Amino acid sequence: MGLIKKIPVYLERLPGGGILTTSLDWVFDQSRASSLWYLLFGTACCAIELMATGASRYDFDRLGMIFRASPRQADLIIAAGTITKKMAPRLRLLYDQMAEPRYVIAMGGCTVGGGPFYYDSYAVEKGIDHIVPVDVYIPGCPPRPESLLEGCITLQKKVKKEKIKDWS
Amino acid sequence: MDRDELIKHLLEKFPEKIELLETGRAEPFFLLKNKDDLVAFCESIKTDENLDIDYLCNIGAVDTGERFEVVYDVASVKKHIRFDFKLRFEYEGAEIDSVQKVWPAANWYEREMWELYGINIRDHGNLKRFLLPDDWDQGHPMRKNWDAPDFVRMPEVE
Repeated sequence: MGLIKKIPVYLERLPGGGILTTSLDWVFDQSRASSLWYLLFGTACCAIELMATGASRYDFDRLGMIFRASPRQADLIIAAGTITKKMAPRLRLLYDQMAEPRYVIAMGGCTVGGGPFYYDSYAVEKGIDHIVPVDVYIPGCPPRPESLLEGCITLQKKVKKEKIKDWS
Repeated sequence: MDRDELIKHLLEKFPEKIELLETGRAEPFFLLKNKDDLVAFCESIKTDENLDIDYLCNIGAVDTGERFEVVYDVASVKKHIRFDFKLRFEYEGAEIDSVQKVWPAANWYEREMWELYGINIRDHGNLKRFLLPDDWDQGHPMRKNWDAPDFVRMPEVE
């Protein structure tokens, strides 16, 4: 990242360099947003909806989203299902293993804020934003595939707004 | 052996130790009056020729809010018998004997009971963390009076 971060700094000093920078932004953002490969992380019933979305009827692939079984190859982690306190450190570990830029979608009531396990539960983490930073929240119990697709399109919109000079 | 014969047989064999509880269920439900009789009772129902209880289906603990109850659900595969019995004891010094030497399957149930309810098991031999996270330090979460900083009770609904 170090070198590419300096490109806009030098380019913008040149005449017409700003146009080049925004074009670079556009190329990076389009390619990222159009191939958000997601990590399979299904821990409960939301995973069934995730699988349904990945199958031919809803066809995740048309958004360029393909499941990956390894965090090293994934850009996005869709936390689909209840995250218990025992699972929380594992989720954090997987998130840390992903290469940047990385995104998180909290799918379903449990990951948004505990959901049906909010009351009277000693085992469930009440929202995964205690563990990892979340980009898009999708409520529902479980959310329908349409909601998940909407959430992913929202994330694509967010990705498309990124600039090279904001990279960390 | 049908239900009535089973009840009669058990009440005659252990006249002072157990009593029948009315539950309305198909399987008879007994109360074992003294928890110190537990291992002897289990051994004798296992070795009894008419009962031949060779299968421990389940052990469950209950916190009623006043005392603990531990329910043993046992069966005989050969004789097609199934019945439950339970123990009652107070919170103070909650401790029972392990029934592993009668049914080795009790090991995990007893570990779970020890972990979630804080009921100590004598002669268990393997009382280690079972279901809760390895670094858990917030006590026994299935007790009625348990509390934790992020634990939210269901509000009373009218």
